[in-house]
Amino acid sequence: MTAVLERTRTPAPAHRPRRRAGNRADQLFLLPAVLFVAVTVVYPLVYSVLQAFQDVGLREVIRGGAEWVGFANFANQFGRAEFWQALWLSLVYTVGTVVLTYVGGLALALLFVHRFAGRNVMRALLMLAWILPTVVGANVWRWLLDGSYGLLNAVLRGLGLIEGDVFWLGQPGPALVSVIAATAWSFAPFAMILLVAGLQGVPTMLYEAARIDGASAWQQFRHVTLPALRPVSVTVMLLIFIFAFKTFDTIYLMTRGGPGGATLTLPLYAFQEAFEFRRYDTAAVATTVMLLVPLVLSIFYFRSLRREETA
Amino acid sequence: MTRERIRLGIAVAVTAVYLLPVYWMLNTSFKQQADVFARPPALVPVPPTLAAYQTAVFGDPDIARGLVNTFVIATGTTVLTLVVAVPAAYGLARLRIRWVTPALLLFLAVQMIPAVNLALPMFVLFGRVGLVNTYAGLIIANCSLSIPLAITIMRPYFLSVPGEVLEAARVDGCTTFGAFVRVALPVSIPGVITMAVVSFLGAWGEFVFGLALATGDELQPVSVVIAKLTNAFGTRWNELMAVSAVVAVPVIVLFVLLQRYIVAGLTDGATKG
Repeated sequence: MTAVLERTRTPAPAHRPRRRAGNRADQLFLLPAVLFVAVTVVYPLVYSVLQAFQDVGLREVIRGGAEWVGFANFANQFGRAEFWQALWLSLVYTVGTVVLTYVGGLALALLFVHRFAGRNVMRALLMLAWILPTVVGANVWRWLLDGSYGLLNAVLRGLGLIEGDVFWLGQPGPALVSVIAATAWSFAPFAMILLVAGLQGVPTMLYEAARIDGASAWQQFRHVTLPALRPVSVTVMLLIFIFAFKTFDTIYLMTRGGPGGATLTLPLYAFQEAFEFRRYDTAAVATTVMLLVPLVLSIFYFRSLRREETA
Repeated sequence: MTRERIRLGIAVAVTAVYLLPVYWMLNTSFKQQADVFARPPALVPVPPTLAAYQTAVFGDPDIARGLVNTFVIATGTTVLTLVVAVPAAYGLARLRIRWVTPALLLFLAVQMIPAVNLALPMFVLFGRVGLVNTYAGLIIANCSLSIPLAITIMRPYFLSVPGEVLEAARVDGCTTFGAFVRVALPVSIPGVITMAVVSFLGAWGEFVFGLALATGDELQPVSVVIAKLTNAFGTRWNELMAVSAVVAVPVIVLFVLLQRYIVAGLTDGATKG
């Protein structure tokens, strides 16, 4: 697992003397990337946070110049039920995706950590779900979930579990569950890879000791595997949380945020504010809130890494 | 032995079920329009036909143009990412100065930023400098996220190049840049390939920047064209699946050829600093 969680601070190998000469020239290698990220990432981010404190509509965007309005946009958004709804949906969608992805990823990892013929080929095949372009995955899921002709309903009808047509993406609750399931489907193989690495790092001695003590398979899982996996589990959950919280494409392509706003999470809400209603300032409020959540989580993430380092 | 057999059986079943959506896409794409409405649906297309591909992919100028746009944007993104990120990864691997860690953290943090958070201000800022609705704008937008990822993927490869070898190259009269190009790069080719493929795949499937920054029809990537045509496709699922398959196939092919590199690169990029 140490390989997966290698530190950001790679200590200089002892055999390599600290070089001063050449450093100046080596810094030039970094310059283009630092400049590029400054101009295309840092600047737009700062700009959009500033927009949240200005009155920015279509006119201001075209002509430039905008009035400072302090926290008026925040007050406006925090007073809107739609904003809280979007934030709430974001959290439900994200937590749901994290849980489903982790459980699915762990189940896959527990299976694929063992050696058997064709294991590596199958593991690679599963990764396809993860790297498939979202536009492909989302449309295939829409087709699978189609009420009249979709495969899922055909199977459920065949099993006698449903009668007639169920329109999964046409009802608020089922639509939200559907986008969570589709997202987890694409994330779980990624979780599996990290969790397999974690499982391989659990000392076999622990299992032998547990077996000698007469622990059942479930008890071994519960009292040996899960505790030993904890650091990896935290990493996986945090990463999936960050991935899911910022997800726009899967949801947009599957439901457009519908039906009736039932899957309009914060990223979609921000996009709608900007591109449908031309309210760039309140969109910036939403994206600023979106920035804070991963930021706080990233801090937790790095603190947990550091704790592991000292452990 | 029997235990291994049981595991193998379960694994095959799990993998098959897991990839059912991919199979269903291919299956549907080879069906006739009328067969899409069969209840229950046929598990294999009988008879298989390329009709959906002919109509929706080669016969639809919008989709064809979208595919070309996607290819141009993905290629441009890959090239620009390589030019900027490879030297940066090298610099970060070589340097032993105070702000290496902050720089690494910056590149790692950027990967956590939602694309929407960049797409919205970019729409305004690019509009002012005439980059909305241009290939250049779309390529720059894609690179904003692919360069930081590429740097984190590439750096470990350069870390494994011994400093002494580079010193020796310099003693032999190479410039700093010469040592990088002639010594460090050749031994890090697997990393460069990984990086290029990951950048290309990322841009190939990218959606948010295309939606926000390609406001006119002529430069929209195929992902956006599909989204815009969703209503037009209606119940012509075989055609939508054919288009989806055409978008998916290059990804699947690249992945099958280079999966070891890609998986290692992506998981490292997401978890390593």
